[in-house]
Amino acid sequence: MTVTPSAKTSPAATASVSPDDVLKHDRPTEKFLCPINANAFIEFLEFRIRDVDTNQVMFEVKRPSYEIDWNARDLSGSDELRTINYTFPAAFLKYKAVGTTLVFAVCPAGISNFRMIERHYFKGKLMKSFDFTFGFCIPGSVNTWESVYTMPPLDPKQIEEMIESPDQTLSDSFYFVDDTLIMHNKASYRYAT
Amino acid sequence: MGLLTVLKKLKQKEKEIRILILGLDNAGKTTILKRINGEDISTISPTLGFNIKTLDYNGYKLNIWDVGGQKSIRSYWRNYFEQTDGLVWVVDSADRPDRFADCKAELHSLLTEERLAGASLLIFANKQDLPGALSSEEIAKLLDLKAIQTHHWQIVGCSAVTGDNLLTGMDWVVTDISKRIYMLD
Repeated sequence: MTVTPSAKTSPAATASVSPDDVLKHDRPTEKFLCPINANAFIEFLEFRIRDVDTNQVMFEVKRPSYEIDWNARDLSGSDELRTINYTFPAAFLKYKAVGTTLVFAVCPAGISNFRMIERHYFKGKLMKSFDFTFGFCIPGSVNTWESVYTMPPLDPKQIEEMIESPDQTLSDSFYFVDDTLIMHNKASYRYAT
Repeated sequence: MGLLTVLKKLKQKEKEIRILILGLDNAGKTTILKRINGEDISTISPTLGFNIKTLDYNGYKLNIWDVGGQKSIRSYWRNYFEQTDGLVWVVDSADRPDRFADCKAELHSLLTEERLAGASLLIFANKQDLPGALSSEEIAKLLDLKAIQTHHWQIVGCSAVTGDNLLTGMDWVVTDISKRIYMLD
């Protein structure tokens, strides 16, 4: 028997979560759908968000060193480490294009099929879903992916609603190796005036 | 169904184009990619994997893949051929003379790949801003481009540092690909 986890229930520790499963989600998950130590494959090195028109960096996190000892990684962190709470200036909602850059290192064995699915919700409703297949990743490589999103034009009323609803903008990011979930991160977004 | 209807219909779904940028190490692949994307190009180190840019361009969703060109990585290039619509081959026009033979051999070997059979081929004769850079005509001769019968190809002299002709080249490759996509539909 296979267990298909839904957005509502947390899976048994042994059940693996597939891309098809998360593509069915219509609301943020209540729990993380895989343990932190499911990730034996990749290590995030940098993450950056920029306004493409001005090339201004809005957010940046970076590891101090790119050197990774794959035999001695600390995967004991708590769930808080898997959640990012962003606060952006309200002007963010008026940008025409936003670029998100992810830099990641790949384990010495390489990856034959790497895929990311990200689900974005506002007030519990699915707003957008991103699905990107990296495919093969070279053993021991360092890779960069920047995605430039053309932002949908929002009217003043929508902008106001988003500013007045802090932390109602949420996302789930799922990372798969060979169609098995290896990493699940969450983010919340608020816009400050 | 008329042509206009076909074009309209195509516009409704997201049109994705996959472009693969390859070339010998230090040809300027990453610099070209960053320059096209309006990013800082002052600190670029050798690519030890891939750099991908996903962006909107003239109504298309472009996925541009730049894979490192060092000799130790070249054997992995074949993992990125699948579904490639356009191949951009970048040449350092001011490279050491002995490297052009290598450059020509790698390019012609790619052109025999079945999974790249349908791809449009753009050759960027990069680093035209450097003194001693060979012209695009000279590069075309060194790489024996005339012998290519299997692919639509075009060579464009450019400079990733000044930005000269990068958009000319990208426009050509995207237009060539889109013509093909329209015809197939």
